[in-house]
Amino acid sequence: MIEEPYRWVEAIANRAEYIETQLAAGSPIVALGYRDGILFLTLGKTRQKLFEIYDRIAMGAIGHPGDIERLRMAAIELASTEGFTRSAADVSLRRLAHYSLSPILKTAFEQVYGAPYLARLVFAEIGAKQENDLFLRLDYDGAIATNSGNFAQTRQDFGALSGTRQSTELMEKYLAAEHSAGATFERALRLGLDAWTVGHLALGDAGVKDLPARDKILAERKERLRAAGIEAAVLERDDKTAIRYRALTEPEIRSGLGD
Amino acid sequence: MDAAQGGAGSDDFVGLLRRMGHMSPTGPIGPMAMPADKIPQTQATTILAFKFQGGVLVAGDRRATAGNTVVYDRADKVLEIDRHSIMAIAGVPATAWEMARVLEHSFQFFRRTQLQEMSVDGKVRALSKLLRDNFGFVLQGAGIVVPIFATYDSGADPAARLYFYDAMGAQFEVADYAATGSGSPAVRGILYYENNWGKKPLAKLSEDEAVTVALRALDTAAESDTATGGVDRNAKIFPVIKIVSRDGITTLPEKRIAAVFKRRVA
Repeated sequence: MIEEPYRWVEAIANRAEYIETQLAAGSPIVALGYRDGILFLTLGKTRQKLFEIYDRIAMGAIGHPGDIERLRMAAIELASTEGFTRSAADVSLRRLAHYSLSPILKTAFEQVYGAPYLARLVFAEIGAKQENDLFLRLDYDGAIATNSGNFAQTRQDFGALSGTRQSTELMEKYLAAEHSAGATFERALRLGLDAWTVGHLALGDAGVKDLPARDKILAERKERLRAAGIEAAVLERDDKTAIRYRALTEPEIRSGLGD
Repeated sequence: MDAAQGGAGSDDFVGLLRRMGHMSPTGPIGPMAMPADKIPQTQATTILAFKFQGGVLVAGDRRATAGNTVVYDRADKVLEIDRHSIMAIAGVPATAWEMARVLEHSFQFFRRTQLQEMSVDGKVRALSKLLRDNFGFVLQGAGIVVPIFATYDSGADPAARLYFYDAMGAQFEVADYAATGSGSPAVRGILYYENNWGKKPLAKLSEDEAVTVALRALDTAAESDTATGGVDRNAKIFPVIKIVSRDGITTLPEKRIAAVFKRRVA
């Protein structure tokens, strides 16, 4: 049936709708550039959602664990072989996403007889200076969004990922208004948590459409923290060691939040 | 890429390199054309390692030779593999450095894909496998590597650990000290003597005392072995000394080695 172009378009639209439904409940992930690095933060119950890809690259993902795992492995394999055959400096997130992961996702998405990836990813790569930090979001159809600035768009020092477009956009709106690149670690941690809460409030059919009031964010954040734990990791700018990724421990997160 | 296309994820970096065509399938072990007595048995260099109060000290001279010629005076034969592991090499640099690189990437690859650190046994075995795969080259008269491996085991029984290998990949864990390379007979003698009849056993030495022993041993090795650089007093080239402990790896700054040398060796 899908030999006809119209049918193909219809099949693709159906599958996009199916994937969106599957991803809709995904817990948001925030990546924030701050003074000394990049912070990844999300709330979750059990499953790990933040991962190290290579020396300077980290990934956060929502979706089906099996699909996330396959994409994570692909990213690590590509980065590791590149880092081995050339050098760690030649491993770049831009190339990884544009030339390898995006085509893999697009191919799987459009071949309607095969299974698509039920996953949405956010990556960050730490640069020598803050203006070199790269944030990149990769969708199930291979679409890429980055933080890079040009004359039409100001550069952003963050990346956001959520189950729905509405939630992602609201998080971005919140961060664009509240976040500044020079933030301290403590400030980034609190802001990341607030941005997560905004994203969470916007999920679902009854989700908020506009930025919620401050007290509403605080109340929701308190409520959510009762049911789930914070998962956080950093990419450190300090170049004493080659490997910049570090998962944060619970005491570190607690003391950062001033609990 | 295979993983993305539906294959099961692999934790084996060497296997991945072979799949991608970045490494030959296996070592070229085959019929040997060279009589056994022509196989080079010496590895021109001296490296040593011993346990002391602060962990494991690993030291290596800086000379690289080709036959009778000194080709390089600042070779680094004590290589960091990860935050807690050091591989020190005697043998053919091209093969040894490549092995160190494969090893370094293997450990990181395992940690990243499997979301846990490779065990010390796993790491020790990984190097053993590389040596075994390389043995064909050794039989053909090229590429012999005889390393020492030092690491900190933060597992159930936390302790600094020290291993030496033979060219075929057999690994031996040692309690006190290890030495390899052409200058090692002299060094082994000194370390044995120090450990048994010195002022205190090696394991009780402070950092300064340990550095002193290492420098004296390398200088002694260089005295009779032309392939060992020892301490170059004119050009001020000192051995590389690194220490593995619970806190990771410390590379002693040249200034500090020079100070100990001036006070207690020169």
